[in-house]
Amino acid sequence: MSKAKIKIVYRQAIDESCSSAFEKAIFQASYDEFLLKSQAYNSEGKFKTFSKIKANDGRANSLHYKLSFSVGHFIAQLNNKIPVIKDNKGNKISFEVANFELIESHIEDASFHKVAINYETGLLSLIEIMGEYLLLANDDLPEHGPTDTFVLRMQPDLSIVSYHEMNQPRIILNAS
Amino acid sequence: MERKNFLKTFALMAAAGPMIIDGCKKDATTKTSSTTGTSSSSTSTSSTSGSCIVTADETEGPYPYVGGESTNPLDRSDVTGGQTGVPLTLSFLVVDAGNSCNVVSNARVDIWHCNKDGYYSGYANQNSSLGVKSYVGETWLRGYQLTDSTGVAKFTTIYPGWYSGRATHIHIEVYVNGVMKKTTQICFSESTNGVVYVSSLYSAHGVNPITNEADSILGNSTTDLANETVSLTGSVSEGYSGSYTIGIKL
Repeated sequence: MSKAKIKIVYRQAIDESCSSAFEKAIFQASYDEFLLKSQAYNSEGKFKTFSKIKANDGRANSLHYKLSFSVGHFIAQLNNKIPVIKDNKGNKISFEVANFELIESHIEDASFHKVAINYETGLLSLIEIMGEYLLLANDDLPEHGPTDTFVLRMQPDLSIVSYHEMNQPRIILNAS
Repeated sequence: MERKNFLKTFALMAAAGPMIIDGCKKDATTKTSSTTGTSSSSTSTSSTSGSCIVTADETEGPYPYVGGESTNPLDRSDVTGGQTGVPLTLSFLVVDAGNSCNVVSNARVDIWHCNKDGYYSGYANQNSSLGVKSYVGETWLRGYQLTDSTGVAKFTTIYPGWYSGRATHIHIEVYVNGVMKKTTQICFSESTNGVVYVSSLYSAHGVNPITNEADSILGNSTTDLANETVSLTGSVSEGYSGSYTIGIKL
């Protein structure tokens, strides 16, 4: 029996320093879209950064969602596999949902532009925690017999965002 | 091996193994290299050595979209994206209201609206009488077109549904040379809404209780509402079509 059902999120931050084709595409497409869509909340260009635009007009929070459409087609090319991180066997981890996040930007300086993609897994069975390593299974554990598992190291930008403790078997000690 | 010992052993093996993290590291393939082995440097990205040259560096972009398109897949006339509903064809004419109503070509017209059940693509956890739905990562019923030489941008879509608190509407934005020139919404007559919402594909959600006149956005000006109500021709079985002129000031 697993300890819990959990969901994991890996947060991939992307800024000007990133160099993979995927990251560059996300960076450029989202910045181009920011320049367009941010004007709805900053028509005179009075505010330069996303932080200031948002502070002046809370509706600018919708830019997270509006910009996501400009990068959705790149994320679709990942085929639901999280980039960057892998399990200890070198296999990529599957995600169910990828949420786009605009961290910061600047209407005149792309070097300020920073976004993140938060890849969220489906429910995983957490079997054991071994130091900084998680022993996980994609499927529910069978009552008897083996199951496929994988090991993932906790690392920066990796979070457990959902935890549902499973019923643990009772241990009855016979005192004599 | 006992499970406990197995896990301990496994943990040690795992700790010794390499972890592959290739986040925002510089891409080695884009570095300029030299074949001479000398310490000389040059601002040029190509150099000669013997009978060959080091290939010049060029930018990796433009980046193809899924399917290899070089343009954004949202640059599309048909925004239906697999959604079912009564077909709707819309033709937008963009004109310069500050200059004799001359047509504006190459204006980017963005539209988006909800599906027949009142859900938007791209949003998570949307509440409706039909249940809570999440459509993160999907882009249906969204798209943009550049106006042609006659100032027209055409879209094929479906008649929008509705969601709680709003009259039936379609969002529109217009950009000219990257500058936002208009944010607006259009709606349709209540008689057309009434016919569509009792048709087979829409009847599960039913009739929108918020009329155009009662809407907090469209209904706050009788004049504006009249101008924003697009006249449609057609029927549920044949689909509807309509034209709308968007006046902007350049």
